[in-house]
Amino acid sequence: MTTTMLTDTQPTTSAVSLRGISKMYKHFRLENVNLEIQPGTVNGLIGPNGAGKTTVMRIMMGLVAPDQGTVSVLEKPISSNEAEVKKSVGYFSDDIRLYKTESIAWHMQFVRSLFPSWDDVYASQLLDRFGLIPGQKIKGLSHGQRVKALLLLILARRPQLLILDEPTNGLDPVAKQEVHAELMQIVNDDTRTILYSSHNTQDVEQISDTITFIDRGRVIATNNRDDFLDSWRRFKLLIPQGWRKPEIKGLRVESTFGNLQVVTLDRFQVDVEEHLRSSGAMIEASETMTLEEIFLAVVARGREENR
Amino acid sequence: MNLQAIQILFLKDLFLSRWPLFGYLVGGLLSAMVACLPSETAGFIGFVMMITVTIAAGIHLIGVLLLAESIDMTRTFVMSLPVSLLDYSIAKISVVLVAFLIPWLGMLAGLTVLNFVVPEAKTGIVAFLVLVFLFMLAGFCLQLVTAVVTESVGWTIVVVVLGNVLLNLFLKTLNEHPVISELNKSEVLSWPPIVLQIMAVQAILIVASLAFAFFWQSRQRDLV
Repeated sequence: MTTTMLTDTQPTTSAVSLRGISKMYKHFRLENVNLEIQPGTVNGLIGPNGAGKTTVMRIMMGLVAPDQGTVSVLEKPISSNEAEVKKSVGYFSDDIRLYKTESIAWHMQFVRSLFPSWDDVYASQLLDRFGLIPGQKIKGLSHGQRVKALLLLILARRPQLLILDEPTNGLDPVAKQEVHAELMQIVNDDTRTILYSSHNTQDVEQISDTITFIDRGRVIATNNRDDFLDSWRRFKLLIPQGWRKPEIKGLRVESTFGNLQVVTLDRFQVDVEEHLRSSGAMIEASETMTLEEIFLAVVARGREENR
Repeated sequence: MNLQAIQILFLKDLFLSRWPLFGYLVGGLLSAMVACLPSETAGFIGFVMMITVTIAAGIHLIGVLLLAESIDMTRTFVMSLPVSLLDYSIAKISVVLVAFLIPWLGMLAGLTVLNFVVPEAKTGIVAFLVLVFLFMLAGFCLQLVTAVVTESVGWTIVVVVLGNVLLNLFLKTLNEHPVISELNKSEVLSWPPIVLQIMAVQAILIVASLAFAFFWQSRQRDLV
């Protein structure tokens, strides 16, 4: 497991470490977020709209100051090393706007002047791959081109850590595929760490080693992607009248239609099926779950516990 | 503090405001020339033009360089680059001030030179002009503080309007003041104590406004 819950006192050698982060807004609050992201991993942050993904990422970038807690990025506290840390971090957010009256080439020159690590050759390759024209002004770009232009400005500086907040949001399938292809190339570089947020589980599932679910300002689950997929199961059970759910940890009834009951389990083991059978239920189907289904189940459970 | 980053941000903003800046500089110099023409009407028109150019330059530059960055969300882009809040604050407040000072100084210097060069001009009026220009600079600094603190176009315009009303009152007061009104008719430039006292108050207001703008900007916790 590359992403773990932490306590405040543990030292960190992680790419990103959030400990006890809280942030209060008028209509939203981020509560006691603890998160550690290991170097060289690809991490997905999944949550519904308004869950707090963007706030978490803004806090990592020092754009928003937490009310409580500590933030370290690339082993340095962001609050006192903001500029130094950002030399090695590329941050994408749908909120970021470029100067609309200036061209892509002007932006490249501007960003290049602040980053000694800027790679001219790679920047030219990205221009080609993304089909961007350097002289084109930002105000003339489509949404997809604007996203690609911003990604170019981020990627060409070869950042050690990439924080990508919904980078494929609103892109058409072709543009999405181009962006993903570029990210997949970066993923192959083991020295770089990526945090990728989305409300679309499929986007994240494709590239992530580790997944964190966030809902209503709280981290509700975090695990290795394959462990998530392996540990969750859905059973369709035919149950006799008066059937009582057996005491299996993590087993939850999702729905009941007559004598057909759908249950989910978040810590599947081979002997679980035997337990279910011995309780009198007949297993009609035992299914693995997609990440999206797991996410929905985790959110439902989290909200139920919080009620 | 990263001086190189501050310099890059400063030059970036100066470049982004190059066209309005050029326009205000040319407009200001033209106004100064009209103000020094040997005709009372031309002088009045030129003076009103200068005041108009200065007020327009102030609100426009604050809008383009300061407010637009938070409204258009380009500030998130800038702050995602390796700059600290301190670097950003120094660069931003300096460039807004310098951008305003370019046409402001152009006009004041142009007027001063013309008043010494044009034979019909009364050189004594330069002290009066300095007071008026310092008033407008102080007004601009108050607009700057308002924009930094509120990040609101509406509130900044309220301060512009108030400043305009106060400028008219200030001009009336200066014209009715026995010492200052005499200066305007004098062939010799002089700096009586009342002029120096007003200048001192204006200087304090300017410095205090800029210090507060910088203090507020550099202590912001949330930039988006």
